[in-house]
Amino acid sequence: MSKLPPVVIDNGTGYTKMGFAGNNDPQFVIPTAIGLPNQSRYGIASKRGIEDLDFHIGDEAMTNSKTYGVSYPIRHGQIDNWDHMERYWEQSIFKYMRCEPEDHYFLLTEPPLNAPENREQMAEIFFESFNVQGLYIAVQAVLALAASWTAKNSQQTLTGTVIDSGDGVTHVIPVAEGYVLGSSIKHIPIAGRDITAFVQQLMREHGETKIPPEDSLEIARRIKEQYSYTCHDMSKEFQNFDADPVKYFKSFDAVNSVNQQTYKVDVGYERFLAPEIFFNPELVSSDFLTPLPEVVDNCIQVSPIDTRRGLYNNIVLSGGSTMFKDFGKRLQRDIKRIVDGRVKKSEELSGGRLQAKPIDVSVVAHKKQRHAVWFGGSIMACTDQFYQFSHTKAEYEEHGPSICRHNRVFESLA
Amino acid sequence: MILLEPNSYVLEETLYARFTSEKHELVDITLVDFDNVIYHVQSVDGQRSLLTLSVEMKYYNEVLAYGAEEILHCEYGDYLVPVTNSQYQITLQFNLEQLPQDKAALAKHVSMLKRNVLASPFLRAFEYWESQQEGAGPLMATHYRDDEAIYVQAQQDRVTVIFSTLFKEEVDRVLGKVFLQEFVDARRQASIQNAPQVFYSSREAPLEIRHLQGLKQDESVGYVSFVLFPRHFADPEVREKTISQIQLFRDYLHYHIKCAKAYMHSRMRTRVQDFLKVINRAKPDRTTVAAEKRTATGRYFRPQFRQSASTSPQTEGGEW
Repeated sequence: MSKLPPVVIDNGTGYTKMGFAGNNDPQFVIPTAIGLPNQSRYGIASKRGIEDLDFHIGDEAMTNSKTYGVSYPIRHGQIDNWDHMERYWEQSIFKYMRCEPEDHYFLLTEPPLNAPENREQMAEIFFESFNVQGLYIAVQAVLALAASWTAKNSQQTLTGTVIDSGDGVTHVIPVAEGYVLGSSIKHIPIAGRDITAFVQQLMREHGETKIPPEDSLEIARRIKEQYSYTCHDMSKEFQNFDADPVKYFKSFDAVNSVNQQTYKVDVGYERFLAPEIFFNPELVSSDFLTPLPEVVDNCIQVSPIDTRRGLYNNIVLSGGSTMFKDFGKRLQRDIKRIVDGRVKKSEELSGGRLQAKPIDVSVVAHKKQRHAVWFGGSIMACTDQFYQFSHTKAEYEEHGPSICRHNRVFESLA
Repeated sequence: MILLEPNSYVLEETLYARFTSEKHELVDITLVDFDNVIYHVQSVDGQRSLLTLSVEMKYYNEVLAYGAEEILHCEYGDYLVPVTNSQYQITLQFNLEQLPQDKAALAKHVSMLKRNVLASPFLRAFEYWESQQEGAGPLMATHYRDDEAIYVQAQQDRVTVIFSTLFKEEVDRVLGKVFLQEFVDARRQASIQNAPQVFYSSREAPLEIRHLQGLKQDESVGYVSFVLFPRHFADPEVREKTISQIQLFRDYLHYHIKCAKAYMHSRMRTRVQDFLKVINRAKPDRTTVAAEKRTATGRYFRPQFRQSASTSPQTEGGEW
């Protein structure tokens, strides 16, 4: 067994998080982008020299985007272009992580409902190209649950509902005993990018003319990250703002990226309106109108009945767009309201003959929310069981990539 | 990326982030470098402004004999502190409040630590050459990995560097052999005549080290020898560059074997796609005749049996 720490790589649609297991934060968070030379369309067989090594990944791909064509190998959480992904891994291992893959175990992540063929491809690349000692492919939602074990009020179970909100899309994923309930997964087309766009629009509406258009998105993003919070009640919060503007209105110092002059941007209602679009999606969207608490409730209601209490009891947040202040508390209150309402109604319908046991709703927020998936992987890879559950090189050579269809964590269930 | 960087990028980034952060957070980070080197960045208990970097390097005791300690003192003297944990061989300590102005340069310099330590046998050999002594110098071995070693020996007019490397995979061995053979052949080109001479042998150890005990003699071992001439190390600048590049040779070799495999995989994928195109072309096209007939509302008119055949993929696949 190797003594060197396993390598944990979480390839997301927007960003790749990678680092060594045992650390609290990923060592690198870089865009999942690869910059390839533009003339590569002559076909792969025309290679004469070392053109296949001429590429950049991550931020370097972005800075070289004038001379290199940037492509994104992951679409909607799933790997789209295996050629690019293989080379992306090649450079992230040798240049960024700087380790010899033959000496390490690797933990990779996959989205829920990933096709087993994709998992096999991953295993093929890691065992055949990189000769890794062992590999474990974990589901992102399960790792997010594991990450929540650091929270104070956590129950340390692998049953729970994961709300994973990144840049592109928000998922609500119920997990029972580490097993993803695929049929109950819900998606919400509102995520970080939409919130930023909404903040940008609000700023434009209240007449921030000083912001140059090219900086507008970046400033909206920073205002969103610095000043936003979740309020109790939207209309009361408007009244608060109007009653005491000095306390609530903030001003943001921005620097013009062209002439380096500083200017002030007023930050007003967007402070609480930004996260509010999860609870009142009609603010931004005309076709998707279900608030997040209702989606979570629906998601749990379509899950098997014996798991529902556990799912309500452990609702875990993960991803950058769940980092708003008091987001968890608001969510917990709203879900609780829906659940209590339903319980009360059923008691009324029964004419007082049935008394339901109250359902505990608890939303777990913790400090590692932003890179929760990576952090969960880092915890998992530190345990002794990780080596038992990983697929080793010897097994791969014996059975082939199909070993990845089987997850040994569930061995006792089979 | 053709050459590997001599410094550890991940260590540089980690240290730089710590050096520049305004709040001194408690940190405890483990990092890895090639050849089983482990770095441990940690803040000191109770004193958050102090940051220690402990390095575990299995071959440190070996290179100690070649003057690694002097190099360490010379390069990192200000930060060197006695080692407290026996797991580690080198410990550096930084006071985050008294760092030099150029923090990026310091981070970069510290990230070269492994390179500088491993430079010691090479520097020793070059010094031997400078001293103009008769005969061959001592053979300096560094077992930088469990079963792999670098041997450096100075002669009167040259310095020989021998790498032994181990291929765990059969495929790797073949690829490595081709790669190294190319290496030998490429030198015949006029443009790189000045490169050091390279010899490659698998299984048989080169004459310089054949007398050593315990050399592994099987198919999985390969030996690469470089012959460095004074033009590679007489000039101080060239010398530093030579050391940086030659000591990473093993990782360079294994990196390129992996790149070659990745390249072959991408060719395989393109070829599979091409074949699929050919196969798909062989499918008879049934839609053209039916597409011409339209109803008054603009919908296609198809006889009933046609429609069921072309809309459901199962029957379509079954037919041919």
